[in-house]
Formats: sequence, structure tokens, C-alpha cells
Amino acid sequence: MMTQDLNLLSNDAFRARWRDWLEQNYPAEWRIPIIRRLAGDEERRWHRMTYEAGWRAPAWPKQYGGLGLSLEKQLILNEEMERHRCARVLDSGGVLLAPVLMKYGTDAQRSRYLPAILRGEDLWCQGYSEPNAGSDLASLRTSAVRDGEAFLVNGQKIWTTLAGCADRIFVLVRTNKEVKKQAGISFLLADMDTPGLTVRPILNLADEDELCEIFFENVRIPAENLVGALDQGWTVAKALLGDERISNGAPTLPRQAFEVLEQLIETRGLAEDAGVTDRAASLFCDVHDLAALHSQVADAAIRGEVDNAVLGMMKVLATEAFQNISEEILNVIDEDAGLQTPTIGAESPLDLRKIYMIARPSTIYAGASEVQRNIVSNALMGKS
Amino acid sequence: MGWRTDDELQQMLRDSAIAFLGDAGGPGHFRAVRASETGFDADTWRRMAELGWTGMLLPEKLGGAELGLSAALPLAEELGRALAPEPFVASAIMAGTLLARGAGPVAAALATGLAQGHQSVTLAWQERRGGVGIPAFGTRLAAGRLQGAKVHVPAWHPGSALLVAAQGDDGPVVVAVDPSASGVTLVVARATDGTLTADVVFDDVRVTADAVIVEGDAARVALEHAIARGTVALSAQLEGLAKALWHETLAYMQQRVQFGGALSEFQALRHRMVDLYSQIELAAASWRKAAHCVEEGKLWGPAVPAAKARCSQAAQEMGRWAIQYHGAFGYTDEADVGLYVHCALRWSSWLGGASAHRRAALMAHRGGKGA
Ligand SMILES: Cc1cc2nc3c(=O)[nH]c(=O)nc-3n(C[C@H](O)[C@H](O)[C@H](O)COP(=O)(O)OP(=O)(O)OC[C@H]3O[C@@H](n4cnc5c(N)ncnc54)[C@H](O)[C@@H]3O)c2cc1C
Repeated sequence: MMTQDLNLLSNDAFRARWRDWLEQNYPAEWRIPIIRRLAGDEERRWHRMTYEAGWRAPAWPKQYGGLGLSLEKQLILNEEMERHRCARVLDSGGVLLAPVLMKYGTDAQRSRYLPAILRGEDLWCQGYSEPNAGSDLASLRTSAVRDGEAFLVNGQKIWTTLAGCADRIFVLVRTNKEVKKQAGISFLLADMDTPGLTVRPILNLADEDELCEIFFENVRIPAENLVGALDQGWTVAKALLGDERISNGAPTLPRQAFEVLEQLIETRGLAEDAGVTDRAASLFCDVHDLAALHSQVADAAIRGEVDNAVLGMMKVLATEAFQNISEEILNVIDEDAGLQTPTIGAESPLDLRKIYMIARPSTIYAGASEVQRNIVSNALMGKS
Repeated sequence: MGWRTDDELQQMLRDSAIAFLGDAGGPGHFRAVRASETGFDADTWRRMAELGWTGMLLPEKLGGAELGLSAALPLAEELGRALAPEPFVASAIMAGTLLARGAGPVAAALATGLAQGHQSVTLAWQERRGGVGIPAFGTRLAAGRLQGAKVHVPAWHPGSALLVAAQGDDGPVVVAVDPSASGVTLVVARATDGTLTADVVFDDVRVTADAVIVEGDAARVALEHAIARGTVALSAQLEGLAKALWHETLAYMQQRVQFGGALSEFQALRHRMVDLYSQIELAAASWRKAAHCVEEGKLWGPAVPAAKARCSQAAQEMGRWAIQYHGAFGYTDEADVGLYVHCALRWSSWLGGASAHRRAALMAHRGGKGA
């Protein structure tokens, strides 16, 4: 365990220490950027490793066992992970739920759940979307009715990422049908092994079964698992949106995808092709300028000036750039784009089709691009 | 709200620019200059000198303010917003950078004249259309005689002083040439931003030794800096222009009612306006990054060409959709939209257009020249 306060280190010393640690401890088999995402036991192992070495929960305040790092240092952690070609990690518990519990949870909830998230014992999943409540999330219908010391929950969630290997779930449920739709929602916590709760995986276009459907049939959730006040779940859920939105607009995935494109152009001898060069130049500038914008917006956020409109724009720019680059990756490989598993070359494990497919949903989750544009336009042009 | 921040000096300069350009800039001023024969208004130029703008980069002992590029850029952004045809980039930034590095009484006199706004100074360096970066010069200075031709010399004005970049016996050289000297032929053309540009031929033009402003390696470095700084400042102008046009277009969309609602309420239009705004945000971040690199002496990375590419593209795209969203009115000379579009045409093609700069940025990235 590290005893020294990491915030006291200079940025350079901090960066060097984290880089050393990654070099010595990061499992080699995880170092496949874009494609690899840690799930289940791997994710638990990652949280445990970082916890034991004193690197876990950089954004959490120290009183909850986090590192309480400045945003600047948090961004350094991310930069070094990109540099080291680390796998992606979702950490729904640490990133999405924990801030909610800190703001709205009871002491009992915090002491019960936060330490287990820190140690990598509990993985959480996010149960918001429903078959008929996607972008219009507030129209959700999964119902919770008070029944003695519990809520009786019935309904269905869908698109719940990694529900199959999660230990617990945070769900939005309807507790009041008589009021405006946003005003009748509550935020509940549940164990995945609660009787009546079943999970069915859904195969996606990247051949993964991380997305799941969850069915609730008379699931009894203890009343003490309500977070925040009854019917206040919409407000509670909104607390999720903090600094982490800056990472939705990070240039990491587009930059990594662009590197793959450049390797392809090189190995396939396309560097002199005028058309390929023009398109690569345009994509390069997209990544370059997004990185410039992201770092200047992050600098402003570090000073405490958060610009909500630009955060939404950056999410759209980053995900659309990722898609455009992944499309060009398949474009430059000609007929190989029709192969089940096209790669850069025989010795490269990177599945190019998978990169393309992983880029597809990024413009849908965490607020579809069109919905982001609605939100940003409201900020820039007044509500319509 | 906003991630863009100025330091104290930048804020001060920006405020004074906004105050000054309120009546000395904008569409009305642009129209007046466009209708004149001179390319820009000498009186406005003199008043800009009084504010310290024309001598911004020049040494104090020559009447300048001895500031860096970063101080000049908020001005460039505001000048862009105001569609200012005055030769801030060509003269204060590009020629100013050369003169600040020049030596001798001629350089000093030109610098002082520029700082006082008595004249504008313009640099003739380009020899063919298109291209990014400094070419090998075909114009030669040998035994005090200048021979060659330059194209697209910007910001021409009957009273302008002319600096010419040429190949000397020992590397590049920049000399001052009297445009009325014998052997100098000028073909002046009107540019879409109302300014004049000149193609200039030098046929055995006599150049005295004291007219040499800077030579050898110092000349090469001075030219590199002048062009890099000019490119960044022009990028900032383009971004300022695009931003102003975005707001102008929004204002129109908010008051124009069709199908029972303001145009600004239609989702398809709102989404495009968000995308245009995003491009402008990228443009603003890109020129700021480029400015940072140039100030650190990193001229040859991807940042400068990426900035010019993005800012040129953002301004032109904004122009396209501004016309569209103004409807037929946007197609008239009476609407101000066309002024922005015409200005953007000139500024985005001058010093290299978007696609040439995009390629240059990629090549710089591949060359691993940093940033
Ligand atoms: C990979 C992945 C992981 C996910 N993980 C989770 C998770 O862990 N937990 C969870 O709760 N949810 C998750 N989701 C669900 C995600 O939040 C929803 O997909 C998203 O909110 C969009 O809802 P929808 O898919 O029902 O699309 P819809 O709402 O049906 O929208 C379809 C399309 O219509 C357009 N559209 C919608 N509304 C508007 C509008 N107002 N104006 C203009 N266009 C509009 C958009 O293009 C949108 O993509 C995940 C989704 C994906 C793809």
C-alpha cells in the first residue's frame, strides 16, 4: 500500500510512478487496445490489483477510500493507460454508482457497498433502459410497489451491459404512475441473485454477449435499498453525470483506431495512393483537433470551468471520428473487408472487423448522437 | 460557460478590439472598403496603429509593443469577426515578424513607419499558386540586382512598402524594394475580401546593400516564423469570422417564421447548427494549440497546418449553410452573409487551402516532427 499522498507529487513524478507500476504489473495479455475490455473476473482482478497497490478509485474522495486526486492527475492516469495500450474497463460501480451513493445514499448503504466496489468484490450493472424506454428514458415502466419492508418489482430491462457477470444492479423503477413521468421514478439497488430476477444475454454484432435483458418477476427488493427519496430517482440518476463526461469525449479510441489505419497503410503499401492519403489526412486532422479541444476543455475543467455544451459536442465528435476511422480501416483492405476475421497481417491479432463493430454502438449509448445534438442545441439556441 | 480563456493582457486587447471594431469594423466598413480603390482604409490603419496593433510584434525602440504572437491572436479573432480588410496578418504579423528580426536603417525606418501606421508593409515570398511552406526561391539577388517574379502578394495598397524574399549568393535574403523602382512591374487584382493582391515581376531591379533586411540562415528562420505566425493568425481570423456568421445565422433563423414556427425550431437545422458550432470549437482549439507550438519554436509539427485546415474548412462550411438557412435573401448582395462568404473564400485559400494543409499535417505527423 502506498502511504504517500499522490496529490503531493509533481505531475511528472506522479506520471512516472504510475507508468512504472503499469510496466511492472499490467498483464501482457490485456494489452490489446480498442478490442479488449476487461469483464467479470478479469475486471475484479484489475480492481483488486489497483486497490492493493493504492491506485484504486482516483476520483473518489479520500473519506470513502478513494485517492481524491485532482482532475489533472486523473487525466494523467488515463493518458498513461492509453500509452501502455491497456484494455478498456467499465467499472460501473466505481464510476457510475459510487458518486450517486456519496451524494444521495445513506450511511448504511455507503458502508455496505463502497468498500466492496473498491476491493473489486462487487461488480455492478446499470439497469435503466427498457424495451420501450431508450432515449426517452423517463417513460420507463418497470414498476415497484411497496409491500411491507420491501418493494415488489415487475418488468423488464434491456441492453444492460455485463449483467451476466455482475453481482448487483442499480435500477430505475416506476413508483408513481399518477404524476409527470420524471416525477414518479425511484432508484433501487438489488442483488443479481434475488429470486425472480433472470438474465438473458443478447449476442451483438461484435460477437460478444455482454448486452443482456433482465426480467423482474415479483422480485422483492428491501426498502432500505432505495437511494434518495421515493419518486426522486430521476434527480438521483442525473448525479451520475460528473467529470467522467470528459472521458466520453476523449480522443483515445479514435487515436488508437487511427494508429491501426496507419499501420495498414504502411503494411499494404498505400502510402503513395492519393485518395488514401487525402482521407487519412482528413481523419488525422479530426483526431488531432479533437485532442486539442479535449485537452483545452480538460484544462478549463481543472480550473473549475465546465462547459456542458462542449462536453456533449465532444462525445459526438469522438464517437463519430471513431466510426469514420473504423470505416476507412475496412475501406483500405478492399475484399478483405468481407472476411470474417481480417487482420493487419499474419502476426497481428487485431481483428479489424471487430474494431468496426465496436465503433458502431458508441453513437447510441450514453446518449445517442441525435439526442446529444438536441441537448447541445438547447444550450446554444434556446429550447425548441 | 466556455473553455476558451484569455490571460489578462489578451482580455484587455480583446476588449479594446471589440470596442474599436464596433464602428470601425463590421459589414458596413467592409462594404465601404470594397467600394474604394485602395484595398483598405489608411485612416483605419492609422487608428489601429494608435491602439498599438500594427507594431505589436516590433521592438519597443522602434515604436513597437514588443509582444508575442499570443497577444496578437485575440485581435486576429476579433478582426475576423468584424471582417476587417486591414492588413493585420500580412503587415503587422508577417512583415512585422521579419522587420523585428531585421537590421539596418532601412529595416528600422520601415518598422517605425509600420508601428506608426504611416504605411503598411507587405512581404512577397510566394512564387507559384498553392503549396504549403517555404519553397526554394527562383527569384535571385546577385550583384545588387533582383530578378524574378512573385505571385499573390497580399494587402497591396498604393502606399505599401514591399519586402521581397529571394535567393542570394549565400542562402535566402529578404530585401526592401521600392515598388516604383525601374524594372518592377505590378499586376494588381481584386480579392474577394475587398483587398488588393499583386503579382510582381522584378527585371534587373537595383537593390542597394542597405536594403537588405535579413540574410542567410537568419533570413530562413525569420521567413519560417513569419509564415507560421501569419498562418496561425489567419486561422484565428477565419475562426472569428465563422463564429460571427454562426451567430448572425442563428439570429436570422430566430426571427424568420415559416410553417408557423421560427426556422430555429426545426430539428434538422438545429442539428446542423450544432455540427457547425462543433467545427468552430475544433477550429478555436486547433489554432490555440498551433499558437502554443509556434511560440515554443515548434513550427514543423502537424499543429500549424491542422489549424489552417480546420479554420478554413469551418469558415467555408459555415458560409455554405449560412446562405442556405437565409434562403433566397442569403443569395443577395444586400444580405451580409455574402460578405462573410467572400471574405472566407479569400482567407481560406490564402497561405494554403484546407486540403493542402490537411496533407501537410499528416506528413508532419508521419515525419514524427513532434507535437
Ligand atoms: C453497447 C450498448 C451498451 C448499453 N449499455 C447499457 C447499460 O448498461 N444500461 C442501460 O440502461 N442501457 C444501456 N444501453 C442502452 C442505451 O442507453 C440506449 O440504447 C440508448 O439510450 C438509446 O435508446 P434505444 O436504443 O432504445 O434507441 P431509441 O431511443 O429507440 O432511438 C433510436 C434512434 O433514434 C434516434 N432518436 C431517438 N430520439 C431522438 C430524438 N429525440 N431526436 C432525434 N433522433 C432521435 C437516434 O438516432 C437513436 O439512435 C446500451 C446500449 C448499447 C448500444
